[in-house]
Amino acid sequence: MPRVRMRGITKHYGSIVANDRIDLDVARGSIHAIVGENGAGKTTLMRILYGLVVPDAGVIELDGRPVRIASPATAIRLGIGMVHQRFELIESLTALENLVLGRTPTRYALMFDREAALAAAREHAGRLGVAIDWDSPVAALGVGARQRLEIMRLLYTKADILIFDEPTSVLTPQEADELFVVLRRLSAEGRTILFISHKLREVFAVADRVTVLRRARVVWTGPTTATTPATLAALIVGERFEARASSRIAPIGEPILEVEGLTVADDHGTVRLRDANLTLHRAEIVGVAGLEGNGQRELVEALIGLRRPVRGSIRLAGRPVEGLDVRSRRRLGLAYISEDRDTEGACLPATLADNVVAVRHAEPPFARRGWRRTGAVNTLTRTVLERFGVEGGGPPTPARALSGGNLQRLVVGRELHEPPLVLVAAHPTRGVDVRGTDFIRRRLETTRDGGTAILLVSEELSELIELADRLVVLFDGRIVGTLSAREATPERLGALMTGLVA
Amino acid sequence: MSRSAIAEVAAGPSPAAALAGRALEVIAPFLIALAVGGLVLAVTGRDAIGTYGLLVEQSLGGAQAIANTLVAATPILFTGLATGVAFRTGVFNVGVEGSLYVGAFAAAWVGFSFTTLPGPLLVFLAVVSGGLAGVAWAAVPGALRAWWRVDEVVTTLMANYIAILFTSYLVNYWFLAPGVANSMSPLVAAQAQLSPLVGSTQLTLAFPIALVATFLYWVLFRATTVGYRLQIVGMSPRFATASGIHVARTIIVAMVISGLLGGLAGAFQILAVNHRFIANFSPGYGFTGIAVALLGRNSAPGILAAALFFGALANGGSMIQLFSDIPLDLINVVQGTVMIIAVIELRRLGRLVRARSHA
Repeated sequence: MPRVRMRGITKHYGSIVANDRIDLDVARGSIHAIVGENGAGKTTLMRILYGLVVPDAGVIELDGRPVRIASPATAIRLGIGMVHQRFELIESLTALENLVLGRTPTRYALMFDREAALAAAREHAGRLGVAIDWDSPVAALGVGARQRLEIMRLLYTKADILIFDEPTSVLTPQEADELFVVLRRLSAEGRTILFISHKLREVFAVADRVTVLRRARVVWTGPTTATTPATLAALIVGERFEARASSRIAPIGEPILEVEGLTVADDHGTVRLRDANLTLHRAEIVGVAGLEGNGQRELVEALIGLRRPVRGSIRLAGRPVEGLDVRSRRRLGLAYISEDRDTEGACLPATLADNVVAVRHAEPPFARRGWRRTGAVNTLTRTVLERFGVEGGGPPTPARALSGGNLQRLVVGRELHEPPLVLVAAHPTRGVDVRGTDFIRRRLETTRDGGTAILLVSEELSELIELADRLVVLFDGRIVGTLSAREATPERLGALMTGLVA
Repeated sequence: MSRSAIAEVAAGPSPAAALAGRALEVIAPFLIALAVGGLVLAVTGRDAIGTYGLLVEQSLGGAQAIANTLVAATPILFTGLATGVAFRTGVFNVGVEGSLYVGAFAAAWVGFSFTTLPGPLLVFLAVVSGGLAGVAWAAVPGALRAWWRVDEVVTTLMANYIAILFTSYLVNYWFLAPGVANSMSPLVAAQAQLSPLVGSTQLTLAFPIALVATFLYWVLFRATTVGYRLQIVGMSPRFATASGIHVARTIIVAMVISGLLGGLAGAFQILAVNHRFIANFSPGYGFTGIAVALLGRNSAPGILAAALFFGALANGGSMIQLFSDIPLDLINVVQGTVMIIAVIELRRLGRLVRARSHA
């Protein structure tokens, strides 16, 4: 009898299916990997098991007993714990205080029983074979130590089903190896482990069984010994692509954006993009393929000026721009479609007019000597709304009143109504309806044909194959391959994206 | 904004319905506060209706009463605008009280030091010094927040105590008026004391100037690129950054304007009412300004209305003691209730905005 059995789990978000009749069996003491592309439904499934999401249909059984997991509190009581990608630790408290938070041992019902807490802490650390400075504030601990602390917190709450959401995405390779040792010890103790991963190397290094999700459904499940990395990679990526009928009109032009040796770190100082070299030519779409979190965001942010690179150079039309701010780069002809529409692409509380004019609000004819020209702004806004088919409001409508698809049309319109030299487009059709998606893709093509160089980051391979003239693949912060659209088969892309070939 | 009001805006309602909805939102906190105050009055065995009648009469009945209300509204109109400009930029400057103190001291010092200058010039110099002192005071936490992400709530709040105690030290040890027991500076020169506009009241040019400041505040956000940046940064700093707006610079601009208005609040209070610097002279004008800005939803008309309301309460409340046995504390209860309700409304709005941005 499996420790965890999920049957027919289904979850809809509006018209989108996140989980479609998913079945999953996890044996006691096994390490079970869940793999799949972004948006395949892995995280939703795990959140359902942890009680963060209530499924529309389906049953969950633990040791054969049906359970209803309505909240994480229920999940914890049933012995289920989850280590999130973002750790939930209080930085100003010590490791020990974090460990016992919420279940603090006390003396005389009032005082913190430090000795008892420390004894429990040492016991868990000893069993896992890890060392941790219990008196150090969490703020002073490294990422690996924080993660071990999170795991011990779960053990402290007596969890024996442990869910890890991409546990290695924040770790260095050595830290990841240490984590695997811990995972094996946990499994040897009879604890059941589920982990979401993007990296096949890890799956084969540590998991007993693997389940592949694609488009909200299970496409394969079985022991890791019964498959190969290459087979799994192809299963993850999925369908074959139609050979693309070339739609391009203009020939590819001269180099316009040249990136050399670009190395970029995230907010924590971890290097996420290493030594990237990349050249965009006029009238060219270069697609960036890769599973989420392999350096795409850092690349995009460094190009647009939102993140200062560690080193490397960026030249726009021959001019070095790596030292310039966002505004100066935009003035030189750089445009940007953010992956985060609601907080970065658009300003939801502001009007459509204020959204459209944002990047040029201080320039004539939209302002003169510091005074805004409402007439010109409204004319511009109406033009953009009309040309890009934005429905649901006029210049004074607040942006939050628009649907996601219409809002994205607005963002695309703002960035493209005057064709830029270079467009950096991150997931431009994410969460957009079918008609809107098609519209935006056609716009990208016509803009490209007008001479704009486009860097297109997308997690939809079909979109990349359809639009891009050339593809680069990012894995673990490196450009691991450059291929033409024709060369991009699911097998090759899957292998590159999951790090099987370097 | 209420849930229904947002829905109406989204659906593109008739302008009349939208206006009525907004009017109700603005008035509701006042009505609820008056109801709670009335309840307190009734529970303590007083005649609520009669008390409110007396309050209205003392604050609005006749030219003298109205003038006194406007005098009481002047400093909190300035501090309300000072707070509003920061809040709209997403900077929670609670240090207007500090700017007010240093502004007041600077104006008083100019006023009693350069006594040979002609009146208009002396007034001008005193006002400018007061404003600049306020700017300097606010710029430091502004820069700390903008460049080093130091929490401005903590720094500005603490800076208030420094300003209050430092000006107190200055007046006690360096600028104590001769022959005065309390902590007072000398009087500012007679020609620097603003003269009354109406009879023997303290209503001076300070109030019309505060009205002009309110108008400029409205113009700033309505028609200028600076105001646009302040608002966009307040709504979404990440959007602002991605659009090429300098968030740090904009935050400093907001703090400079906020400090300027706070300094002016202090300067005019000295020149129009007190005529000298007195240690601890402010009954929390800067803090009342926070309530004024919250209640007025940071909009120019809202802040004006809230300042007048609190001015009327303060004036009527202090007069009411003279004519009845109702303690000032009960008036403070009403004032406190309005502040609480103002904050509750804001929270609700915040929740709504968050819920929507997650959807």
